[in-house]
Amino acid sequence: MIDIYTEKKESKDWILQNDLYFNLNTSNEEMSENEINLIQQVDEAKLTPNKHIETKYGLGTIRNLSSGCKTLLNIVKHPDKVVCVEECGPNVLKIIFAMDNIKIYMSRPSLADIPDDAKIRFNDSDVVIGSTGYNTWWSKEYERRETDDL
Amino acid sequence: MKGEKLMIYKNIAFKADPFSYDLVFDDRITLVGGDSGTGKTVLYEILEDLRLTDGYKRIKLFNYKSDKFLESIKQCKDSFIIIDNADILIDDDIRKFINFEFSNQYMLFLRNCDGLNVSDKSFKVLKLDNNRITLEEEL
Repeated sequence: MIDIYTEKKESKDWILQNDLYFNLNTSNEEMSENEINLIQQVDEAKLTPNKHIETKYGLGTIRNLSSGCKTLLNIVKHPDKVVCVEECGPNVLKIIFAMDNIKIYMSRPSLADIPDDAKIRFNDSDVVIGSTGYNTWWSKEYERRETDDL
Repeated sequence: MKGEKLMIYKNIAFKADPFSYDLVFDDRITLVGGDSGTGKTVLYEILEDLRLTDGYKRIKLFNYKSDKFLESIKQCKDSFIIIDNADILIDDDIRKFINFEFSNQYMLFLRNCDGLNVSDKSFKVLKLDNNRITLEEEL
């Protein structure tokens, strides 16, 4: 199940500033083989054991990863937290929607490639399946926002 | 003329070995989107240096590290404003400022165009081809 929250909340259990959270927390954690592969997949970056990266743009440290890649690692490393995905590109969203047991925040429908069998719950309430369920839910949400003049 | 689309820089071109950047702007507001990991923040960091050179003094940069973002951006006039992390930084107030402060030009690393007066020429992605980096139309 992927939990999506659509109303922003300030909480220690929410990560809204992914770069900041990653640079101060996640980047200091050990990276697994799977996470190293995700870094390679998203940023085409090779992570060394001492947390340097090698990309087509040059050499750097793990803190030079893209915001989308940092967001993905924040989700993978902290599945208990609600993570804002509004800075993620389609390549990262595709990976996120193929995951399970995660919590994300988005205030609007990001264009994403969603598997047909993905189980998604909005705001701890409505459960939908796949891209059809996702798009239908957002259509209704926008009707609601229009009615409520939001 | 009031309301006329002012372009501070029609293009920004510079070399940052091994890359050469040739960024052409077709609208007063440019939104740079596309996949993650395409070099937006790398570009932002190079522009932090470029703005210190004589030809690009009108560049003003903002990201999540910027102090007093709201107050600072509202003081910008006749500037080329670049905002990284714009999806988490800009609110309705800033969107209104961007729409109606016509003396500025904007390049926003932003996916959510809601509430912005953009055209089909506003949507761009960074493209790297043979060490040459350009802004191409987002399909």
